[in-house]
Amino acid sequence: MKIFNRLWTKTLGFIVLLAFTAFFIVPVIWLLLAPTKTDHQLIFGNPFSFGSFHNLAHAIRVTFTYQDYALLTWVKNSAIYSFGGIAIALVASIPAGYALAFTNFIGRRTLLGITLFVMIMPATALVLPLFLEANAVHAIGSPISVILPFSFFPFGVYLSYIFYSSSVPRDLLNAARIDGCNEWNVFRKIALPLARPVVALVAFFAFVANWNNFFLPFVMLPSNSNYPLPIGLQDLLSSTPAFNPGIGGDVPILRPELAVATIVAMAPVLIVFLFAQRSLVSGMLAGATKE
Amino acid sequence: MSPVYLDKLTKIYPNGYEAVHDFDLEVKDGELMVLVGPSGCGKTTVMRMVAGLERITRGTLRFDDKVMNDVSPKDRDIAMVFQNYALYPHMTVGENIGFALSMRKLPKSEVRKKVKETAEILGLEEWIDRKPGQLSGGQRQRVAMGRAIVREPKVFLMDEPLSNLDAKLRVQMRAEVTRIQRRVGVSTIYVTHDQVEAMTMGDRVAVMRDGHLQQCAKPQEVYDNPVNIFVAGFMGSPSMNLFEATLNENADVLTLGSQTLKLPASVLALKPALKKYANSRVVVGIRPESLNAPGPQTQKGDDDVSLEGEVDLVEALGSELLVHFSTDAVRVEAEGAVSEDAEGLDAGLIAQRGAGVARVEPGAQVTLGGKTTFSLNPSRLYFFDSSTGLSIVE
Ligand SMILES: Nc1ncnc2c1ncn2[C@@H]1O[C@H](COP(=O)(O)OP(=O)(O)OP(=O)(O)O)[C@@H](O)[C@H]1O
Ligand SMILES: [Mg+2]
Repeated sequence: MKIFNRLWTKTLGFIVLLAFTAFFIVPVIWLLLAPTKTDHQLIFGNPFSFGSFHNLAHAIRVTFTYQDYALLTWVKNSAIYSFGGIAIALVASIPAGYALAFTNFIGRRTLLGITLFVMIMPATALVLPLFLEANAVHAIGSPISVILPFSFFPFGVYLSYIFYSSSVPRDLLNAARIDGCNEWNVFRKIALPLARPVVALVAFFAFVANWNNFFLPFVMLPSNSNYPLPIGLQDLLSSTPAFNPGIGGDVPILRPELAVATIVAMAPVLIVFLFAQRSLVSGMLAGATKE
Repeated sequence: MSPVYLDKLTKIYPNGYEAVHDFDLEVKDGELMVLVGPSGCGKTTVMRMVAGLERITRGTLRFDDKVMNDVSPKDRDIAMVFQNYALYPHMTVGENIGFALSMRKLPKSEVRKKVKETAEILGLEEWIDRKPGQLSGGQRQRVAMGRAIVREPKVFLMDEPLSNLDAKLRVQMRAEVTRIQRRVGVSTIYVTHDQVEAMTMGDRVAVMRDGHLQQCAKPQEVYDNPVNIFVAGFMGSPSMNLFEATLNENADVLTLGSQTLKLPASVLALKPALKKYANSRVVVGIRPESLNAPGPQTQKGDDDVSLEGEVDLVEALGSELLVHFSTDAVRVEAEGAVSEDAEGLDAGLIAQRGAGVARVEPGAQVTLGGKTTFSLNPSRLYFFDSSTGLSIVE
């Protein structure tokens, strides 16, 4: 009876998981299949049918050669902006969270409050003020005008603060001080290595936010050669007859080509996630102190 | 390798709580000073002030002739075993032990050699490449110990370093720690709850209560001549039996409940101050081992007095019997002085009116529920002023 019950629970759990998996994976499968078909097949054919490798090669060629390999430039731009932003965000937010958690200084609570407040403020609300600022220092159109706002990542500061204040015992740092570490080494040798999961988490979230950010670069960067992917995709979209009937290039960008571009835009997020995930190990602090 | 002087150290925590008050202590060069006291009395706070982890509110801390109050922990050249271990979870056992050495820029080969030696002393060789998370509590505690003894600092601070070990390992480590401390000759402050550790390891023992130093002397001296009821009750396990009593007009007959004990002249000669307590109340203390039950090996001295009690519980420990008895005398509880070892006993029994404990030889004739007459040498009685709690010595 008991065994039967357990079996039943297990099966039910399995079915629920399966349903969710299907829910999320079906659109992805559709997307992966899309470039193998012609535009016509894509609309009228079976959604899960495979077209041909010939179609796939064609779609890839057209997408990449569009405007003299503009797609690659966009990918490169996106990478520079995103990783530049992440680098500064990490360098700033991990030590900031550490300091907020372990030192007592005047205005600490206020600073925490502000961090939290800015964290819940929608990023788009800041775009226009940022534009005015960037304009004032004549930075419009330069990579800096995107990288600097990208690196502003209060969520990372807060995450790091929460981690340090809740998971790292103060005596661990004290032990290091007694063992002869100066404050820099306490951070470098003890606090930072322990924060590996947080570094990975902050990096991942910052990457997703930066990689997909549309509005800020759209406002800051006027020229096509500076575009990151999301704006490039929009550019691509606007030269598709299906969406913009007035336009007709020599080699038209159709839906299969758009699918290729979308996959190119998605893949890095997936790759970064896989890397970050390896560092998201739990139980980093096991055994530090008596529970 | 320098003497440590604590001069009127006071710690007031930011919340206003005064954890340590005017604490004076001198740890001589190479001395092992044991610090004991009930939970929450401020032992760890004293340690942390010496280590530089807590600001000293008032008073001076000196190593040798150097004032250390404002020296940062890394420059104090101390090694500390934390009460809660504080191991580096991302490093292996070997890296944990060697960390301080590599921070002091010792050559790698030397670090490895010392780590290996230390691990051998502590029986940790097998686990040298494990992370602390994969160790048992006792193993972690030994790693914490290793992190300290691998160095040769000016001062060792050890906060209950053996508390999590099993009995056998504890005995072994106790000897090992003493041996290492003697060999390197480092001044040491050692906090413990364990009566045996306090008695056997320390050159001297400092007894603390509520942030105040009560007594600091050689272990035997503290045991034999406690300055007050608190120290008397705290040192020794089982604790000293303390009863309310009254002296008659000549101060030579002691009344405990309905029983009277005749004090011979020798007692009064030894403690003439008792005369001042004629016709008044005192607290009388009897060490459990001073009580003898009738038995084949019991010899009754000429001056011996007797104390009758009803036996409530007999604990046979193999080498001896602990006889819990009750009398109609009023038992005095030295507040906060019940040492940890006593917590295992039946709480109801301890609180019972007039309850006492005798430690007697295994062959003694005691019957559960029956009355037993214990004999005791009155010169081994302790007397305390019932209002101040101070020992009546002269
Ligand atoms: N940061 C703090 N702020 C306020 N009070 C504190 C702080 N740390 C400790 N105390 C208080 O100071 C007193 C002494 O604490 P301490 O840790 O020194 O005791 P202890 O003698 O080491 O006890 P135990 O034997 O349980 O380890 C306790 O009453 C404790 O509550
Ligand atoms: Mg403590």
